[in-house]
Amino acid sequence: MSLLARARSTSLWLLGSWRRLVAALAMLVALGLAGVFLFAWLGVYNVAASTGHFQLFDSFLRFGMENSVRARAPKDTLPRQEDDNLVRLGAGHFHAGCSYCHGAPGQPISPVAARMLPPPPDLSEKVGLWRDGELFWIVKHGLKYAGMPGWPVLERDDEVWALVAFLRRLPELDERGYRALAFGEVRIDPPSGREIATGESGEDAIGACARCHGAVEGPKSDLVPVLHGQPKAMLAGALRAFAAGTRESGIMQTAASDLSERQIEQLASFYAGLSSPPRHNPLPADGAAVDRGAALARHGVPSLGIPACLDCHGASALPSYPRLAGQPVRYLLGQLRAWRAGLNDRSPSGQVMAPIARRLSAEQAADVAAYFAAQPAASVSAGGLGR
Amino acid sequence: MRCCRALLIVTATTSLAGCSEMQSALAPGGEEAGRIAFLTWILFAGAGAILLVVAGSLVMAMRGPERLRQALGGERAIRLGGIVFPVVTLAILLGCGVWLMRESLALGRPAALRIEVTGERWWWRISYPGSDGSLLADANELRIPVGREIDLVLHTADVIHSFWVPNLGGKLDMIPGRTNTLRIKADRPGIYRGQCAEYCGGAHALMALEIHAVAPDEFDAWLISTQAPRLGEGIARGQGLFQAAGCGACHGIRGTPAAGTIGPDLSRVGGRRFLAAATIPNSTENLVRFISRGQSVKPGNLMPEFRIFSDEELDAVAAYLSSLK
Repeated sequence: MSLLARARSTSLWLLGSWRRLVAALAMLVALGLAGVFLFAWLGVYNVAASTGHFQLFDSFLRFGMENSVRARAPKDTLPRQEDDNLVRLGAGHFHAGCSYCHGAPGQPISPVAARMLPPPPDLSEKVGLWRDGELFWIVKHGLKYAGMPGWPVLERDDEVWALVAFLRRLPELDERGYRALAFGEVRIDPPSGREIATGESGEDAIGACARCHGAVEGPKSDLVPVLHGQPKAMLAGALRAFAAGTRESGIMQTAASDLSERQIEQLASFYAGLSSPPRHNPLPADGAAVDRGAALARHGVPSLGIPACLDCHGASALPSYPRLAGQPVRYLLGQLRAWRAGLNDRSPSGQVMAPIARRLSAEQAADVAAYFAAQPAASVSAGGLGR
Repeated sequence: MRCCRALLIVTATTSLAGCSEMQSALAPGGEEAGRIAFLTWILFAGAGAILLVVAGSLVMAMRGPERLRQALGGERAIRLGGIVFPVVTLAILLGCGVWLMRESLALGRPAALRIEVTGERWWWRISYPGSDGSLLADANELRIPVGREIDLVLHTADVIHSFWVPNLGGKLDMIPGRTNTLRIKADRPGIYRGQCAEYCGGAHALMALEIHAVAPDEFDAWLISTQAPRLGEGIARGQGLFQAAGCGACHGIRGTPAAGTIGPDLSRVGGRRFLAAATIPNSTENLVRFISRGQSVKPGNLMPEFRIFSDEELDAVAAYLSSLK
C-alpha cells in the first residue's frame, strides 16, 4: 500500500468515529505540550541576547507589538500642541529616565543598553511612526519582553503627557536645542576639591534637580514648583516621601530614588538658601478668580469644612509646610488635581492635606491656585519655628 | 441544676449592670425626667397587669370551666377586650402623657438661660450667651446651673441627630433647617451623660456628651471666667506649634489668634472629663493619640492625622491643650 493510500485510510478510520477523532486530537495536544516542555528543559533554545532573533521571528514580534499597541492606545491627542511647559518638563525627565537607553541629541545610546535585545531605538527616528495616544500608551505601560519599563506611577497621566510632548519635539532638536531644553542655562558652582575627592559632591544631585527646578533662575516650566527659599524641612520631607514612594510622581520618584539621606539634607539646604528667582510665569489674568481665591485662602469655607489655606501655607507656618505664594498656577492646579484624585495621601504631610484638598470643588481649586500664583514670592527661608 | 444556677447568676448580673444611675431614664435628675420616669412606671405597671389578665384568660380559655371558656370565645369578649378596652386604656394613657409632658413643650414663660447646641458629625457644638451679648463657644461638655430652667436650642449642621440626656429629660431630634427647643432643669448637682439618639453616620456611637449640673454661683463664676483667656504656664512651645501647624484654622481658643470654627472650640479643652465627644478620657496621652491617630479613635472624623509632629512636639501640643482649663 502506498504511503498516500495508507494516510488516506488512517484518516478515514479516525474520522469514522467522534471518540477516535477527539482522542487523536487530545494526543496531538499532549505531544505538543511535551515537545514544548522538552524544548525548554533540554536548553535547546539559545537565550543569548548577543545572537539576536531570526529576521522572520523579529518581524513577527514587531508585527504583534505594533498591533497590540494600536488596539489598546487611547484616541487622545496632546492636550495642547506646542506647549513649552509640557515639553520642558518632559525633557528634564527624558534626560533622567530615558536617555541612557534611547540616547539623546549629542549623546549616543549607551553601549550597554545598545546590546539589549531588541536594542532600544533612537527615538527621533521612531516617534513619527506613532500617533500621540500610541506614544502615550507605550510610555505609560512599557513593552513586555522589550525591556521597556512602564511609568513608575500609573496614576499620573499628566506627567506621561509631558514626556509625549517632548517626544514630539525630539526629531527637530540638535544638541544645543536639546541641552537648552533639558538642562536650561543653569551652571552650578564647582564643588570644592575635598568634596570631589571624597565623592561627597552634591553637584550631580543638584544638577539633576536644577534641570527642572532651576538654581540661579527659577524653573523653566510652569508645571514645576519654585523650590527657592522653601523651608528646608519641607523640601527634605518631600524628597523622602518621593524616595519612599509615598507621594505619587513618576518624575520625582525617579529623581529622588537613589538620593542618600546626606544628599537629601544637602539639596534641601541648598534650595532653602536660594533667594526667589525673578518671576517668568504669567500672572493669572482673571482678577475675579484671584479675589475669590483670596477670600478662600484667608477664611476658608467653614460650612464645607475647608480651613483657611494661609493658616498652614503662610509665612509663619511650620517649616514642614510649603509656602505657596508665587508658585505657577498650573503647578498648583496640577497638585490640587492630584490630591482630589486621591493621590499623595500617604506621606505625613500628605495625610494632613489630602482630606482638606478633597473638600475643594474644581472651581475653588482654580480660584485658590490663581490667588497664590498672583502673590509675590516670600523671602528666603520663611519658616517661623526652628525644628 | 448547676446550669440553671449559672444562668440565673448571668441574668441577674446583667440586669443589675443596667441599674447604674449613669444615663438612665429611671434615675431622674430633674422635674421633666421625673415626670417621664413616673409615666414609665405607670406604663410598666399597667402593662404588667394587662399581661397577667391576658395570660390568665389564655389559661382559662384552654383549661377553665365550660361556661368561662364559652364566654371567652364569644364575640362579646372580643368586642369588650379587643376593642373597648384598648381604646379606653390608650385614650387615658395619651391624655395622661400629654398632661404630664405639657411642661417640656409649653414654653410660655421664658427660661433663665438659653444655650445653643448644634449636632455635628460627630460632636456637639455648644454656645453660651456671654454677659456682653457675645456667644461663647464650647463643645461636648455642657455646664448648667442647678435649679434654673434652661432652654436648649437644638440645631444640626448636617444630618438628623437627636439630643438625649435620659436623666434630665426626653429626647428631641435635631433636624436640618429646624430649631427645636428643649427645656431642662436639674434638681440636684451631678454629671449626667447623654448620647446622640438618632443614627447619624459611621461614628454615631461615638457621639456622646456630659452635662455638668453645678451650683448657680459656681456656674455664674465659670461663665464669666470662660470669657477671659485662660492660658497656662510654660506652654509657649506647644502654643507656637499649635498656631504654626494651622490647628487654629479649624479650632478656636479665646484669647489667642486661633479662631477656627470648623472643629470643636478648645478654649477649655483641658478642663473636660472626656475627649472626642465623651469617647475617651481626657489625658495628655489621649490628646496625643487623637492628634496623631485620630482616625483610629473616631473613624471618618474631619480632622486629618497630624503625623508630621515628632513625639516631643506632640507632647508639647498636648501639654498646651491640657493647660486650657
